[in-house]
Amino acid sequence: MRWARGLPTILDPYTTTDSNTVDYAFGVYDMLFGLDSELVPQPQMLDSWSASDDKKTYTFSLRDRLSWHDGTPVTAADCVASIRRWFETPGGQLVNERTKDVSKLDEKSFVITLKKPLGVLIDQLAQVDVYPLFIMREQDARRQPTDAVTTHIGSGPFKFNEELYAPGASITFDKYDGYVPRDDAPDALAGAKIARVRRVVWAKLADPQTAMAALQAGEVDVLSEPPADLFPVIESDPNLVLEDLYKSGSDYFLRMNCLQKPFDNVKARQAVLHLINQDAFLSVINPSLKGNRNVTSLFGINTPFSNDANTNWFQKGGDLEKAKQLLQEAGYAGEKVVILDPADWTEAHNASLFLASELRKIGLNVELASSDWAALVARRAKKDSVENGGWSIFISSLPDFSLTNPNSAAFMAMNGEQGWVGWPQDDQYEVLRAKWADVTGIEAHRALAREMQQIFWDYASSAYLGQVPSLTAYRKDLTGLFGVQSGRLLMWNMRKD
Amino acid sequence: MVTYIFRRMISAIVVMAMVGVFIFLLVRLAPGDPADIIAGRNATAEVVAGIREQLGLNDPMPVQFIRWAGNLLNGDLGMSVFAGRPVLQLISQRLEPTLSLSILTMILSVTVGVSFGILAAWRAGGLVDRVLAAFSALGYSIPIFVIGYFLIYFFAIKMHWLPVQGYSPIDGGLGPWFVHLILPTVALSLGYIAFIARVTRASMLEILSEDYMRTAAAKGASSYAMLFHHALKNAGVPILTVIGISFAYLIGGVVIAETVFNIPGVGRLVVDAINNRDYPIIQGVLILTSGLYVLINLAVDLAYTLIDPRIRY
Repeated sequence: MRWARGLPTILDPYTTTDSNTVDYAFGVYDMLFGLDSELVPQPQMLDSWSASDDKKTYTFSLRDRLSWHDGTPVTAADCVASIRRWFETPGGQLVNERTKDVSKLDEKSFVITLKKPLGVLIDQLAQVDVYPLFIMREQDARRQPTDAVTTHIGSGPFKFNEELYAPGASITFDKYDGYVPRDDAPDALAGAKIARVRRVVWAKLADPQTAMAALQAGEVDVLSEPPADLFPVIESDPNLVLEDLYKSGSDYFLRMNCLQKPFDNVKARQAVLHLINQDAFLSVINPSLKGNRNVTSLFGINTPFSNDANTNWFQKGGDLEKAKQLLQEAGYAGEKVVILDPADWTEAHNASLFLASELRKIGLNVELASSDWAALVARRAKKDSVENGGWSIFISSLPDFSLTNPNSAAFMAMNGEQGWVGWPQDDQYEVLRAKWADVTGIEAHRALAREMQQIFWDYASSAYLGQVPSLTAYRKDLTGLFGVQSGRLLMWNMRKD
Repeated sequence: MVTYIFRRMISAIVVMAMVGVFIFLLVRLAPGDPADIIAGRNATAEVVAGIREQLGLNDPMPVQFIRWAGNLLNGDLGMSVFAGRPVLQLISQRLEPTLSLSILTMILSVTVGVSFGILAAWRAGGLVDRVLAAFSALGYSIPIFVIGYFLIYFFAIKMHWLPVQGYSPIDGGLGPWFVHLILPTVALSLGYIAFIARVTRASMLEILSEDYMRTAAAKGASSYAMLFHHALKNAGVPILTVIGISFAYLIGGVVIAETVFNIPGVGRLVVDAINNRDYPIIQGVLILTSGLYVLINLAVDLAYTLIDPRIRY
């Protein structure tokens, strides 16, 4: 099976948040738990697990016949080392803070002992939104997360083919015959993972027109995220299918610098929130309009915690007069607003140009700073004023599913200068966010989500521009191709006729 | 001659050393670094800082330069920040597609371009000349990617004669190798054919109007003898210069052709490296490319002596 798509630049899921690397890791590595289609963690590498009555000791047992791609057995020591490596990443930070010890009991069992109970422990071990817990060999997991592994031996259903690896051009996976799938029926990331094709090749086709032509000619079987202007071509070809397999779109957002004028003033930030007309932004981000949706909840559209608390700003979205009034109340005195514009990312670039014109309508003194994405990332880290090389706004996107967990999504934190760029700070919100880890049950989390969202939209550090779908085009002779709500298109269980 | 070559080789080393310093500074003066890219779009500052430290990017720039230059003098171009493999290995992996495309393009461009130029000069002012002039204007004006898309649409999608994209290594068989290179070679060659044809025509016309050509005609020399024995040899120096320049400029065109036809060559490697700020790859490819330019210039200068015995070094 040949798949035209983005390629991972780093083959280590503990080193980067790059979604291509995580996709790669889903093929090569396995996880202790897998989220089912309801986003409930189910044992994947595990045969069983149990918690002590005081919820401070969790014991895990591996299932039989798990093996690495070099044929050696997967042991509890590998799991312990992997968990310790995971602790060093933001994804494992919360569990690390609560953990007293992780140790192996025997070759197939290990135990996590907590300092105090952590209601979301199993959810954290199963999370796939940022730095998921993939199990690696002990010798690989001993490296620091910043020191990427150099051998790529996992225990997942597909083996990485080192010989055919052409960095930046293609990556080849071969079916691992030694993989023993679970007996349960496949259910998203849970249940049986059965490799039904001998080989999968991911190829980077930098030019979308060529990728489209290759799909039409049958030289590739799948094309991830084709550009919107090619949708009519795909839909008119009887051999092709265009489908939203990921079941999770990309939520575009703008982020304001809360440390510098004018957006250090809450009224100025609220003015931007009221100004945004998502339909208008979506029409420049995804002009085909196919599958576009408005995002009003901090927790996205498809997550279990999506809600409508404090979303009046959206009901009157695109309210120019309200935005002007708020800006006036903010005492705006003509300070320069610098929009960081990623010229090499078409959707965000178009949205940046449109944002500039919208902001000018309410009287903001806007300047676009165009660069490639790498330069934008360097500049957005600066906390200085715009006169000293700082910034005011930039546009980016997040997978919708990543808004499930406010403890791992840096975008959702409001911990000031210690947090993610933009540096919003609200102590009350942070208290609620800290509670997330200890609350158990989906209803309790939903209630907490509403409280957090109330504060988040009042503070208005960011504004959503809308959700665009991540569509996939593929040939009809490929069946069983499936994506999961957590934003992954998976290699197992699909079949090529 | 030997002294001349020796002097040129010494100057080449000086040129490459200057290029090395320039490239090293250039890539580091560009905003952004590999740590930002490695960490991912939504990584925290702490994670980025950790990776930066791991990569040695916090070391003072002179320390980084000495480390790189020292390795370079030992023939070590360093390790790719992203792929974790030696730069030389990555370049070698990508060299075959790029060289294959470049050599086939030059063979096609020179043979067809010089032939068209001679033909146009021979029939100057006539229908053939005008048709070839129109062809040259078109070939020179249409961007490679437009020609590429047209060729793909017609020959790959509509007629199913040739593959849309990709590269088949030579050790996989000459047939698949050649078939995969036909469309990119044609797309890339058109501009060079036009360029070489125009220069050849102009140069040939100048020679054909010389007195000794009239004398040769008066002595009853055949058209073949006049064109190929007398005119082409004397028109050779500017043609050779243009071919040398074309070969040197080819690297720019190769990047586009490699993108349009998805050929995993050096051009794509360096473009991706620039986007990712993979310093060792950018430096390695540019050092080797500048060395290649120097060698091409030297080869062209030496070839002059073969065409025109009056030229001595």
